[in-house]
Amino acid sequence: MAKKYVSGVAGIWLDDHELVKACAKVRDAGYTKFDAIAPFPVHGLEEAIGIRRSWIPYVTFAMGLFGAACGLLLQYWTSAIDWPINVGGKPFFSAPAFIPVTFELTILFAALSSVATLIVVCGLPRVDPPIIDPDLTSHKFAIFIPETEAGYDPAKAEQFLKSLGATEVKRIAEY
Amino acid sequence: MAATHSSPVHVNPGTYVVSKRTKTLFSVCIFLGVLALAYGLLKDRDRAWHAYLVGAFYFANMALAGLFFAAINHVAKAGWSVTVRRIGESFTSYLPLAFASFLVLLAGAGSLYSWTDKALAHSDHLIAAKTAYLNMPFFIVRIVVFFGAWLLFKKLIVGSSVAQDKTGDERITVKQVGYSIAFVLVFAISYSLFSVDTLMSLEPHFFSTIWGVYCFAGLFQAFFAAFILVTVHLMNKGLLRGLVNENHLHDLAKFMKAFTIFYAYIAFSQFMLIWYANLPEETFFYIDRTMGGWMAATASLFILKFAVPFLLLLPRWAKRTPAHLVFVSILILIMQYVDIHWMVYPNLDKERWLFGPLEVGAFLFFAGLFVMAITNFLAKNPIVPLKDPRVEEAVHHVVTY
Repeated sequence: MAKKYVSGVAGIWLDDHELVKACAKVRDAGYTKFDAIAPFPVHGLEEAIGIRRSWIPYVTFAMGLFGAACGLLLQYWTSAIDWPINVGGKPFFSAPAFIPVTFELTILFAALSSVATLIVVCGLPRVDPPIIDPDLTSHKFAIFIPETEAGYDPAKAEQFLKSLGATEVKRIAEY
Repeated sequence: MAATHSSPVHVNPGTYVVSKRTKTLFSVCIFLGVLALAYGLLKDRDRAWHAYLVGAFYFANMALAGLFFAAINHVAKAGWSVTVRRIGESFTSYLPLAFASFLVLLAGAGSLYSWTDKALAHSDHLIAAKTAYLNMPFFIVRIVVFFGAWLLFKKLIVGSSVAQDKTGDERITVKQVGYSIAFVLVFAISYSLFSVDTLMSLEPHFFSTIWGVYCFAGLFQAFFAAFILVTVHLMNKGLLRGLVNENHLHDLAKFMKAFTIFYAYIAFSQFMLIWYANLPEETFFYIDRTMGGWMAATASLFILKFAVPFLLLLPRWAKRTPAHLVFVSILILIMQYVDIHWMVYPNLDKERWLFGPLEVGAFLFFAGLFVMAITNFLAKNPIVPLKDPRVEEAVHHVVTY
């Protein structure tokens, strides 16, 4: 059976400020694929890890424009071409009357495609990922260095995390 | 916890000093404005009063928005806005002058409001039916009551905020919630009626139940534009260091973008219902504004008051770059003028889009008074309420991505 999850080395921290400092050092040491796990949002963590801004907003914007075009064309085709209906003597293609539906489809396409993109990109849903430490949901923090990292050496990574002040180091494996 | 609170923040925001240049600037504005209005009153009385109304309404909006901003932040118990709140509060220092400007406006009611004409009110059935509301004594009472209430709330909300600078009394922060809830309720009703009285009744046949909301949307959108300009100005002077940074600008810009969208939503709602229902007593308002030179103004509202600022405020960097924000804010402030002009001037001339030295002068007059009022306020009071118990939260405010 193929491996479902990436294995690697995890270090546990008890203080969020220490975590941010350690993350910056891990990044400086040349690691690029590592991640941090925290029970709540920690200010400055994204910068310390070197996470760049998500590209999903561009998907949202593009799909919003696509939704607007679909909404407008749908109404144009149904009420002016396929089955023209005279409503109150107004033109068949009455832009003001079409704005609400166009707006709704803009939002619908933008919102649904953002969520769908997020689910696909993050590989959700993850039902049974290996648990590093149950306390990561309440008061502990972790840095996870995956095996996919270039030049990955679990012993070296363990040593490195310990030197940064990890209170505990674990090998996370999934076979 | 002790009743008095000593702030853990010991950053000095600096003291604002009204520079000679600023003083000269607003004095010249007021002087030119007086000249233009005096000349206008002699030459073309009706047009002068219309120019006056646009300017008076524009800046009365600003003063009210400052109070409304302080109030909603107290109601929400907002932490991030504490270090910029005083700038919003400074806008309310124009409120007494706004009251005076509307008392003066009463002298020009005959030039502005056709319903003041008794003969017309008798012969025109639609106006006759509205005289119970649209009559001069009741109009004066409403102006006085509205401004009286607003000034009272200014005293309560801004007054106790300034008092807290000295005492550091935490109970003031708790009391502000009550004052602010009361003000928000009073403001909703009084501002709706105020905008109906001063702008909608220019055309007494016309009615739109969303009018007050439309005026409010423009009020709050333009307020954030002015707010950002003043904040960036203070930051450029080297003030507010360590207290206000691009994260606060980011949130102000988000507010501005949100109310740009809100403005478009309300403007379109008003238009679409009137267009769709097609009732003659409503449609003439838009017909007037699509004829002659007015179509260009109407189109500019959609493009330059919504579409362009919306797209310019969409990216994250745009909301964190002061120079870019200044550009968008100036655009919005210009379009707010066009918007109020668009509501007022077709009453005077349905064919042409009247704009000349008289309108510029009237606007400069009120702009001068407004700048004078807020700069004096900022020079007299600390520019950051450092003893607010939530100031620490504002200092560490970060907009995450």
